Amino acid sequence: MPLGEEQLAAALAREGYFADEGLLTAVHLALRLGRPLLLEGEPGVGKTEVASVLSRVLGRELIRLQCFEGLDSGQALYEWDYPKQLLRVRTAESRGQEIGDLYAEEFLLQRPLLRAVRSARGAVLLIDEIDRADSEFEAFLLEFLSDFQITVPELATLRAAHVPVVVLTSNRTRELHDALRRRCLYHWIAFPDAERERAILHAHVPGLTGDAAAELVRAVQRIRELPLLKRPGIAESVDWARGAAALVDGANGWPRALRRALGLLIKDEEDTRILERHAEEVFGHR
Amino acid sequence: MLAADHLWGFLGALRRAGVGAAPAKQADFLRAIAGAAPRDVRTLYWYARVTLLGDVAGLAAFDRVFDAWFVSGVPVEALGPPPSDVEGEVAAAGDGGTVSTMEARPGGGIEASAAPTTGGRTFGRSDTRQRDLMRLLREAWPARLPVVPSRRRRPARAGRRLDMRRVWRQARRDGGELTRLRWTTRPPRARRLLLLLDVSGSLKRHTPELIRLAHTAPARTEVFTFGTHLTRVTKALADARVDAALAAVSRTVTDADGGTAIGEALGRFLANPRFLALARGALVVVISDGLERGDCTAMVRAVERLSRLGHRLLWWSPLACSPTYRPVTRGMAALLPHLDRLGGVRDLATGLSEVERIPHVVAGPRRAAWRHYLSGTASGARA
Repeated sequence: MPLGEEQLAAALAREGYFADEGLLTAVHLALRLGRPLLLEGEPGVGKTEVASVLSRVLGRELIRLQCFEGLDSGQALYEWDYPKQLLRVRTAESRGQEIGDLYAEEFLLQRPLLRAVRSARGAVLLIDEIDRADSEFEAFLLEFLSDFQITVPELATLRAAHVPVVVLTSNRTRELHDALRRRCLYHWIAFPDAERERAILHAHVPGLTGDAAAELVRAVQRIRELPLLKRPGIAESVDWARGAAALVDGANGWPRALRRALGLLIKDEEDTRILERHAEEVFGHR
Repeated sequence: MLAADHLWGFLGALRRAGVGAAPAKQADFLRAIAGAAPRDVRTLYWYARVTLLGDVAGLAAFDRVFDAWFVSGVPVEALGPPPSDVEGEVAAAGDGGTVSTMEARPGGGIEASAAPTTGGRTFGRSDTRQRDLMRLLREAWPARLPVVPSRRRRPARAGRRLDMRRVWRQARRDGGELTRLRWTTRPPRARRLLLLLDVSGSLKRHTPELIRLAHTAPARTEVFTFGTHLTRVTKALADARVDAALAAVSRTVTDADGGTAIGEALGRFLANPRFLALARGALVVVISDGLERGDCTAMVRAVERLSRLGHRLLWWSPLACSPTYRPVTRGMAALLPHLDRLGGVRDLATGLSEVERIPHVVAGPRRAAWRHYLSGTASGARA
């Protein structure tokens, strides 16, 4: 029986993940309806993290498929272990035995999708950055995503005994096929509001004072409004807070420490220059 | 009104607003609310959004429909005419407002539109210099196109996967003895080239040379021209004899040297699923000066989408040949973040130098382009 939304929120928060209402609904429905969940959002808003937190909350194995250009079915679904087959033929020959079936399960190399189908207790499958794979690759996913089964022509159609929880993430650098979107529930993860971001920082950066957190969150929220090439995500603001916490000495050193650790938040020369021009309004007085 | 009728009405309105809502997604939505009735409108909103919305680009339209049916209480059917499946009729998905498209129709604010079509413009005969340049271009293209690993495996000296067929065949010849392992690999395959060529009046001087440039493009290239409307000229250009191909193009293209409606023409390209498939993963080259009369929103939206569909998006403009050129017109400035390169091409010679540059083009930061979908749409703070 899947968790209710409140229990889910509490369980995620225990793992240090503070989801908003939309994401909670999305995860809850994905679990209840057994559909894959497609998450989009700017880098660093915690898309990938959803899957790893879910695997801990549900006590299921996390299987990750990182997509890249040129990814093919052999790397995602399965491959036949040819060297092993050859060895079997040779040993059988030298001992004068029957060769037997060369396309049996023992010769099958399981890649992430097949592993997710065969996982004994059901897995959490993360298909990360699907927009990096070629558009042809999406076709390989379709059978898997709608029926959670994989057809191995030499063997059989393998069906998942326990429906895996599937999370797909995309940075929207490429447009995904409608056929893929249709099979998924969809959620766009926005940047968190100030309150949620403070909660995240407190959970991930021990020793951060309330004032410092408030100042940091205010600065980050203002920086996100600047016309930057790459807006800092939550991962960056956590890094920034950690860096500043390491640099700070004394309770009054926070503004200085924050400025010195800025390299952890902004990672582009051009953005740094834009930020310098707006330093007043970002770090301005309260 | 019964609750069920209201729901069906809502789903129908979504579909008319151009927000996906395919049957499978509708089934998801209904299963979601049947399993546990949503506590309040807010929960219902998230149930509906997560199951029915397929793309953040449609969020604004989705919110409008949802508000009309569940928040304001009165379903308003003022969401524009239903998008028809007829080619060239559909505005950008999720656009919702059909008014801007109407304004951008041929003639909308175009001085040259008094005679939008001259029809059957001829492109002259090719001289020796042109023929030489075209030969160089024909040699240059294939080596410069970006590649992907082919999906079809080929025998190779080394690789990751055994070529079992050849191994067994050799073994049979050698009396069952495995003497040598053979391998397969995925040889690189050139990506498709998609050329979108502006033939409007502002490029009049350059059009003959630019069409010759298109004729040098390698096999599998798709070529479209646009002025006041979109024309596929791939077939017309297929003739290996240059002048015969040019004559065929001049018969096909009826809007040469007329007005410009870049946004509308590109929008029409994107609205056709068959054309759309040609852009996927392709090297997309738009040859145009980007001088859009009137509202540029449609053009920017179309280019944005094009940049996400293709592998790389290059924009070649005759204006950019001048060293003093700065893309400061409203349209070009808005396009710039979506382009991987803005190059200067006005004839075959400049075309050749841009073709030679293609391997050095790196992908620009496209994510930046997604911001405006967030500004103005309520994503977490809904009533």
